[in-house]
Amino acid sequence: MRPAPPDTAAGAVAAEPPAGLLTWVAGADHKVTSLRTAGAALIFFVLSGAIALVMRSELAQPGLQVVSDGTYNELFTLHGSGMIYLVITPLALALGAYFVPLQVGAPEIAWARLALSGFWIYVLGGATMFAGFLTDQGSGRNGWAPTYPLSGDHWTPGIGMDMWVLGTSMAVIGMFLLGVCVLATALRERTPGMTLLRMPPFTWSMVATCLMVVTSFPVLIGAMGLLEWDRHVSPVFDAAGGPALFQHLFWFYGHPVVYVMFFPFVGAVAEIVATFSRRRFFGYSLFVVSMLLFAALSMSVWAHHMFTTGQVENRYYSLTSHALIVPAGIEYFDLIATMVGGAILFRTPMLFAIGFILQFLIGGLTGIVVASPPIDYHVHDSFFVVGHFHYTLFAGSMFGFFAAAYYWFPKETGVRLREGLGKAHFWLLVVGTNVTFFPMFFLGFDGMQRRIADYPSSSGFGDLNLLSTIGAFLIAVAVAIFLVNLWVSLRNRDPGGDDPWEGQTLEWATSSPPPRFNFRGLPAITSFAPLLDRREGAARRKGEVAA
Amino acid sequence: MTAVVGALVDTRVEVQDLFDAYLWIAVAVAAIVFGAVAFAAVRYRRRPGREPSKLSDHKRIELAYVGLLVLITAGLLVATFRTEDKVDAVSSDPALRIDVTDFQWGWTWRYPGGVSVTGNSDAPPTFAVPTGETIRFTVRSRDVIHAFWVPEQRFKRDAFPNRTTQFDLDFDRPGMNGGVCAEFCGLRHSRMSFNVLALSPADFQGWLAEHRGTP
Repeated sequence: MRPAPPDTAAGAVAAEPPAGLLTWVAGADHKVTSLRTAGAALIFFVLSGAIALVMRSELAQPGLQVVSDGTYNELFTLHGSGMIYLVITPLALALGAYFVPLQVGAPEIAWARLALSGFWIYVLGGATMFAGFLTDQGSGRNGWAPTYPLSGDHWTPGIGMDMWVLGTSMAVIGMFLLGVCVLATALRERTPGMTLLRMPPFTWSMVATCLMVVTSFPVLIGAMGLLEWDRHVSPVFDAAGGPALFQHLFWFYGHPVVYVMFFPFVGAVAEIVATFSRRRFFGYSLFVVSMLLFAALSMSVWAHHMFTTGQVENRYYSLTSHALIVPAGIEYFDLIATMVGGAILFRTPMLFAIGFILQFLIGGLTGIVVASPPIDYHVHDSFFVVGHFHYTLFAGSMFGFFAAAYYWFPKETGVRLREGLGKAHFWLLVVGTNVTFFPMFFLGFDGMQRRIADYPSSSGFGDLNLLSTIGAFLIAVAVAIFLVNLWVSLRNRDPGGDDPWEGQTLEWATSSPPPRFNFRGLPAITSFAPLLDRREGAARRKGEVAA
Repeated sequence: MTAVVGALVDTRVEVQDLFDAYLWIAVAVAAIVFGAVAFAAVRYRRRPGREPSKLSDHKRIELAYVGLLVLITAGLLVATFRTEDKVDAVSSDPALRIDVTDFQWGWTWRYPGGVSVTGNSDAPPTFAVPTGETIRFTVRSRDVIHAFWVPEQRFKRDAFPNRTTQFDLDFDRPGMNGGVCAEFCGLRHSRMSFNVLALSPADFQGWLAEHRGTP
């Protein structure tokens, strides 16, 4: 059933459930579903971040001072699982659920109630995962990427681990459903005139993202089901090749999801860079090709997580992993080429976008380093890898998320976030991020393995770990400034208007926040930047009149 | 796995050289990108009267750039494959064979002639190896997956239950090296470590004689 077209929006609003509890649970507006998903993800972000502070406190000096070995194992499991399954993936898909319908001129997301049920399944999954802390034997404690046989019932008994498996499965099912709806919206719900090659860069990034979601997420759900079967019914991964098989299944999801947590932020940053450079995004068609190539390649790199098993064809996975240099290089070229020749305004969204570009680069370049099997033999499962993926996921994706948050907040709420607090948030976060994660490269290369509660004092790792811990607390202060900014900006409202940044895409052609069915009328769609076309056309006509 | 007769490969040197090459390329790329962004930020700040460029693509430059990326990728792969050939090579005639069994949370090394040394997280063991000889390690696990990592050798391999993993190492520098389990393996994973004592072949024979008959 298609949602009502914009001109009958008033009639359709009456068909919504009456205000009250039912609307709160079952109101299917994609904008509300998206904001709730992002809100829940931010709560899990604070929880998983607080866990990180406890971990960093434990690691600040050699010896056990804060928690036991067993508690530490629970904490690093919930920190990683929380951030990946419950924070960054949902934030990425929530951005898509809000802005893909708007950018393609659709009144609603496709299958709005399916998207809504995805949100509820995800939240219940997250709660289940965290509730594992309350059980006798503790929560899941095998890391975000468990291995078999350790994750079997014999080596990790207890209901908390089962709750981790169930919670993870539910979170992934929820995000799968949301991804399906976003993909269907981009492919099936575009307004007339919005051809595929007029979809903005962000929408294309969500298409590439959701193609990976629909092809890889079901594999994890299957793997988790088989793991539960193995734990409680009969052995599944028991044979000689079983442990490697489990890793294959896990990483067939686990690598694409890394790019699920990256692409949407590249897309958002592309739009921010174009808008604040007051210029059309450079190299659009090659950018679209590179996104699709990136997504396709990302389905063939998974066993680069298994170079040290001696059970995979290292050269093949090294080849496909190195090949990612090409699409990633194109994206960087286009982002920088858009800035060169622009008229750049350094507002908070643009600062975070540049932070994303430069810091993700460090994650990307070290990613190429670990794509080389002989080097990976040394740094695999060390803090070098921990530094690498925190540069991609935190210094990259979370900076991309903050860029998107400052950019789109006025659209979602009608008010701007405070610029002064935003800049304080940005600069403190840059310092905290690099102080926290850069030392990890040295620690890992010098022999500090990951997932350890403690290290011997003879190792000499104490100083760099202390530095990293100080950085983590700076990050916490920066995030607190962001939360204060949200609160202050919503209380003392500074209206942003419909289009505070001279946006180029359709979401800026409606009110802030948009009405229930998004648009009361649409401008002509002439390219992937219809509002820029309109402004340039007006300027041209003004010039002709003046002449 | 390529069989190379009698070739001694120092993994530390091979991996370090490759890492250094990747590192310098990464530093050069980072310098270019940081420089380009800084240039754009200074030169193309928004000022009154600044008109942004209307250019929105330039196919020839873009395709030339893609060609450059492909060349860089190919160059890195050639370097990686060459090093991997050497690091993965196993000798057809190793001078010494050591069987390693990993368990929660310790290690047993079995040398020829019935010498066996065991230690765990309460008392990390010290294992001796001779310098300048190719040593064949055959690694297995008694329970969950572990990983054998000697950072000084720049080398790591996983140990699986129900199957063995084989690799050759050469320890060229006498002295004590630390080793750890790198694959998370349960409660006391942090403390699953060992020491490798690299001795001259003569001293190694003495060490072996000393440990013969002790558990």
